[in-house]
Amino acid sequence: MRDRELTTGQEARSRSSTDAAEGVVLPVPTVWPLVLALGVSLMIAGMVTHWVISALGAILAVRSAVGWFFEVLPHEHHVTVPTAVEVIPVVSTRETRAHLPVDERHRKLLPIETFSIGAGVKGGIVGGIAMIVPAAVFSLVRFHSLWYATNLLAAGGFVSWAGQSNEFLSQFHALGLLAAFGIHTLTSLLVGLLYGAMLPMFPRWPILTAGFIAPFLWTGLLHSALAVISPILNERIDWPWFVISQIAFGLVCGFVVNLQVKVRTAQFQALPFSVRAGLHGDLQETEDEGQ
Amino acid sequence: MPFENFDLTRDYLTHPREKTPVSTIPAVKGVDETQATQHARLPAGVIHEWLTTVDHKKIGIMYIVYALIFLVIGGIEATLMRIQLAVPNNHFVSPQVYNRLFTMHGTTMIFFVAMPIMFGFGNYMVPIMIGARDMAFPRLNAFSFWVSAFAGVLLYFSYLGGSGLYAAGSAPDVGWFAYAPLTAKVFSPGHSTDYWTLSILLSGVGSIGTALNIVTTTLCMRCPGMKLSRMPLLVWIYLVMGGLVFVTISPLTAAQIMLTLDRYLGAHFFDTQAGGSAVLWMHFFWIFGHPEVYVLILPAFAFMNEIVPVFSRKAIFGYPAMVAASVCIGFISLSVWAHHMFTVGLGAAGNTFFVFATMVISVPTGIKIFNWLATIWGGRVVFATPMLFAAGFLFQFLIAGLTGIILAVAPFDWQLHNTYFVVAHFHYVIVGGILFALFASFYYWYPKMTGRMMSEKLGKWHFVLFIIGFHLTFDFMHIPGLLGMPRQIYTYEADRGWGTWNLIASIGVIFQIAGVLCFVYNLVSSYYRGKVAGPDPWDAWTLEWSTSSPPPEYNFAVLPTVRSRRPLWDLKHPEDPDSDYEI
Ligand code: HEM
Ligand SMILES: [Cu+2]
Repeated sequence: MRDRELTTGQEARSRSSTDAAEGVVLPVPTVWPLVLALGVSLMIAGMVTHWVISALGAILAVRSAVGWFFEVLPHEHHVTVPTAVEVIPVVSTRETRAHLPVDERHRKLLPIETFSIGAGVKGGIVGGIAMIVPAAVFSLVRFHSLWYATNLLAAGGFVSWAGQSNEFLSQFHALGLLAAFGIHTLTSLLVGLLYGAMLPMFPRWPILTAGFIAPFLWTGLLHSALAVISPILNERIDWPWFVISQIAFGLVCGFVVNLQVKVRTAQFQALPFSVRAGLHGDLQETEDEGQ
Repeated sequence: MPFENFDLTRDYLTHPREKTPVSTIPAVKGVDETQATQHARLPAGVIHEWLTTVDHKKIGIMYIVYALIFLVIGGIEATLMRIQLAVPNNHFVSPQVYNRLFTMHGTTMIFFVAMPIMFGFGNYMVPIMIGARDMAFPRLNAFSFWVSAFAGVLLYFSYLGGSGLYAAGSAPDVGWFAYAPLTAKVFSPGHSTDYWTLSILLSGVGSIGTALNIVTTTLCMRCPGMKLSRMPLLVWIYLVMGGLVFVTISPLTAAQIMLTLDRYLGAHFFDTQAGGSAVLWMHFFWIFGHPEVYVLILPAFAFMNEIVPVFSRKAIFGYPAMVAASVCIGFISLSVWAHHMFTVGLGAAGNTFFVFATMVISVPTGIKIFNWLATIWGGRVVFATPMLFAAGFLFQFLIAGLTGIILAVAPFDWQLHNTYFVVAHFHYVIVGGILFALFASFYYWYPKMTGRMMSEKLGKWHFVLFIIGFHLTFDFMHIPGLLGMPRQIYTYEADRGWGTWNLIASIGVIFQIAGVLCFVYNLVSSYYRGKVAGPDPWDAWTLEWSTSSPPPEYNFAVLPTVRSRRPLWDLKHPEDPDSDYEI
């Protein structure tokens, strides 16, 4: 006995091989789904009208269930629909494509290798570690405590810390360290991920983009949004130091990215075999000359 | 300079072609049996054929037609409400009738217009676009349609049955979200609320059936070469939508069953005086309700993904990002429901979580908007009617998303919750976004479904009238909301300063009706007199355009084999196929 799986998905697959001239096998039209739907609906409608309606619905439902059952068992009923084979051309209704003025093979001028997203994430991790250094220096220079910057970051998560004094923030708090560690790890990873995702678009000069352009954009964004995200941080943050630590993050992140091996894009597949195998190099202009 | 040529997708088509085909790779076409013979047959035969059909295309069309009928009904209800609200202290309808109107309008539009119409397009397009001959479970498909259809009939029978048989109540009047304890037997005697509960329960059965079909078909019935990574984005999105329907209809159904138990057997799930919880209902309803709005907007995104590239003459920008964004939206939309409940007192932690979750959803949504813009950017855009509506969608959906973000800020929402600002927000999404996308897809796929083009001239009239009407009504609706006008009120005093805005909003309806009349007339008249479309009137790239219009019962005489995301591009341009550039 065939189950429904067989009579649907798989059968459709095997039907594909049938010659079009023989016709196509399709399920027979049937009224039972309609009747079953009506039966179920009436059963429910009886709840707001009269039980007789429900009874009628039940009868219809049972009858149609039986009918439907014999529709598919022991064998699903089929019709063979004859196909008349006629050729319709699949053509564009337009003029041949106009190419960019650059080159016949403009589509082949796409980058064949680029950085992977993973490169961005690695950069984010290492950059995040590097960023701790200027932050700690700031903390020491300004407040003579390693923990001030840590607690300030953590305070974003604790509303109750909002009114605390600088002395309080300069002390060591295990909870603060934990929260700061979490926030810092998460944001570093996210920024790295974002950077990795953008890399294929701006693959050149990673040190410049990551080290300077991104920190300034990011700082600008934070500058306008920080009051909402973490009012306490906003009150006490020292922007020049913040920018310095951002640059530290970016420089290291960009440096790490630069060390990574590039991956091949789909365009690589389109190159002639001789080029892919490295035997022939006539497509110099496809090489990424950026780095 | 490799990176200046990021034009993988660009088509650079120029003038309409004179005569010579670029390529003549043939596809096999079957003669359409149904069309040829239908006219000759007796009406009874035709009716029988439609009632018994298990063909996904016929079922899709039935879903769409059925939804259009309810669209007109829901539209009439809306018009009556706008007449009532046009001026202060109006007595056009009674308060009782008004309550029924907004309840029936909301319920109809979500459950019996938007859902079925999306399922209709899904039913029609998903199998054809993946090169299949039918849905995975054709009979279940028919059953699902009919159950949903009868559910709509049951809901509207309440107007007759509610008072007729038990002499208490008429149509439901508890609002489309039917908050407890208003739905308790004490406050809502008679059967009106039961009609609401039971018809939604029933329509849920159909929704689950169709979602099951869409998901299974997508996963199991793709033609040779149609890898997941090559699937048209429309199909991807319907896959996500199907998954969402599974997850969201379940709590809705559970809630309806609990409410039915409360009302019939005296259970106390939502009875606060007996230890039940009214907030529990809100959680159940909105854990369905918010993903539900994404069930509706995702297909609208799906239509954009097909229409925008074809009319920009470029491949979609960022296909993988689009897939990822759709899947992300699917997941995130499951975690934001309580933004509908900021005013119940969730506590700081709850509010904060739902504020952020709600804002996060705008990230994948933003990705999509940017990708559509990047697709249009530098393309040779053709402003045929589908593209006009698509452009309207892009603009209006953006604004709607922004008012959504505004509402997502909990303290702000405390002011605006249950005001007309919220009503304006969600109508901006549903009308300005979803309905515009739907209109675009009607103009786009009508030729495929009927073999005839819709009139461009009427289409442009439709667009112009409707967009004027839409903006008159819904732009100005934000203002009384900001001025504190609550929603679901029957009338208001003249001294509140809401009158002018309401009048403008009501005037907009006239334009909308005029636009819809153009549309309906266009639908009907083009069926008989429209220009013959041919298989591929838009010079498009997905599989549905490789078969005749309308397609034969079996869709494809020989199942196609695809090598890229744009199989018809490959056939049309064998010298430069996409398959060279996709892994
Ligand atoms: C970025 C996207 C969106 C955000 C941030 C958002 C946010 C919100 C918020 C916060 C509310 C609750 C307002 C209140 O009741 O006080 C709301 C209501 C609503 N939204 Fe959205 N929304 C978004 C997209 C959508 C979409 C795509 C749809 C529909 C397809 C939609 C439909 C609705 C509906 C129907 C309601 C009101 C439900 C009711 O109270 O009757 N929204 N939205
Ligand atoms: Cu929501």
